[in-house]
Amino acid sequence: MRARAHGRKHCRAAEQLMEIYLPVAEMSVNWLFIILLGTGVGFLSGMFGVGGGFLMTPLLVFTGIPSTVAVATTLSHITASSISGALAQWRKRAIDFAMAGVMLSGGVAGTMFGVWLFALMRRQGQMDLIVALTYVIMLGTIGTIMLRESLGALRAYRSGVTVSHRLVHRGWIQGLPFKMRFRQSRLYISVIPPIAIGFAVGALSAIMGIGGGFIIVPAMIYLLRMPTKVVMGTSLVQIIAVTSITTILQATSNYAVDIILALLLVSGGVVGAQLGVRAGAKLRGEQLRLLLAILVLTVGAGLAWQLVARPADIYSLSEGLP
Amino acid sequence: MKRTLLALLLLVALPARAEDLVSGLSQDTIQITSNYTGTDIVVFGAIEQPQNTQGRNIVVVVRGPDEPMTVRRRDRIAGVWVNSDAARFEGLPAYYYLASTEPVARIAPAAALARYGIGLQALRPSAIGSHHDPEPFRQAAIRYHQRTGLYTESPGSIDFLSESLFRTRVPVPAGVSRGQYNVEVYLFRDGEVVSAQSTPLFVDASGLERRLFNMAHDAPFSYGLACVFMAMLLGWVSSVLFRRQE
Repeated sequence: MRARAHGRKHCRAAEQLMEIYLPVAEMSVNWLFIILLGTGVGFLSGMFGVGGGFLMTPLLVFTGIPSTVAVATTLSHITASSISGALAQWRKRAIDFAMAGVMLSGGVAGTMFGVWLFALMRRQGQMDLIVALTYVIMLGTIGTIMLRESLGALRAYRSGVTVSHRLVHRGWIQGLPFKMRFRQSRLYISVIPPIAIGFAVGALSAIMGIGGGFIIVPAMIYLLRMPTKVVMGTSLVQIIAVTSITTILQATSNYAVDIILALLLVSGGVVGAQLGVRAGAKLRGEQLRLLLAILVLTVGAGLAWQLVARPADIYSLSEGLP
Repeated sequence: MKRTLLALLLLVALPARAEDLVSGLSQDTIQITSNYTGTDIVVFGAIEQPQNTQGRNIVVVVRGPDEPMTVRRRDRIAGVWVNSDAARFEGLPAYYYLASTEPVARIAPAAALARYGIGLQALRPSAIGSHHDPEPFRQAAIRYHQRTGLYTESPGSIDFLSESLFRTRVPVPAGVSRGQYNVEVYLFRDGEVVSAQSTPLFVDASGLERRLFNMAHDAPFSYGLACVFMAMLLGWVSSVLFRRQE
């Protein structure tokens, strides 16, 4: 009996070393697990030039962290991973700051709209569903488009045909007014599409806890026809700005940012991002896009399954009044 | 004359008859620190003027601060599980632990238990916002808290060290809310409460945790800004370190 009690005490001491208390989430987590989670997601974000929020937010919720805290705190992780990624791209002169600035003007408005919509949906009690549906539709659509495109490009590469993006017509986008020259991207296009994309991404960032890389990157490649090399760095700059603004908005309006959780995620994330950038440099653009497409589709399928599978308990509880 | 005699008889008999209860806690505050993974508190007590143990029961209830909560039910609409009906409850505790010498249903009738709020089934919200029968929603709220270890009924968990001395170990898990808790000890004799004692227990964060929590609420803008700067700084530092490696 005494030996067992002693064993339990020993166990708890070991457990205590691994656990850290999160002051805003008001719960304990295994810090090593959270750091590794940050590293893993950071690696993918460095490799693909996306923030990784679409992975991190669901994973944190799965760990048991309240979804409001997960949404708000993931943003810091995205900021940090994107900074180290962006600096790496900046040294390669692979950032179109003009494009990032134009997009951000739409992004700021979008973030504010998103925070307003967030509060509205929460009052309706349908936030979880709308967020999940948005995730499934976004990830499903973008994943499918990327998969088709990258497979096509890989096949063309294998058979020795070179597809030039320059020759593909831009259709209606070419006809829009307020044209501007983006030297880094070697583009002369209207500012309306970048502002619209920035607005949409800003709104989604506030609602879904994502940086929006998985929307910006395909939009830059397929809608704006920016060169892939510039896309990574430019999207990262846009993501840094949007996530920083949203973090502050979430901290002031929802008190949902947990700085200890952020510190753990960020510590892992920045290392992962650096390794990811190096791994990404060894792969061809089409291969990267194929891998990202598969990842996006996998997460989308997982979330879709959760929507249609019978829940373990059809009742769910949330603290506080809606 | 008869009355005086009766009073005298009572005066002599009463100290011998009335069982009384004294109880205490191993600690009256729980400090949540950075390595808090839950703790145990010990509730101990003694029965004064103990009588035969037959028909005697002890119930220890630890009740956390009330917390408003919303329970939603999901229904399948077009193949997708959608939140349909909801019930809002106020006056349900965030934490509830019950230790007793026997399952509570065997200690006292349901009405007596309900009066004292003893047992999970006796937990009644003070305000309900619902268009439907709230009972399944209340059951779901209890089920949810049992799953997360915040509501527990633990019959048979009171140790007697002697005829009159008892103690029980109350687990306070990591997910508890801050605030004032109440530890209630009841002495039952043949289904009736003969003595009860209530002691407050405070759960609070201390040190860095407390400062960070306060800052998040009192100075949210600086707190948010600090988060962003921390993220940017770490991102930049790692970038510099990794470049040096090359």
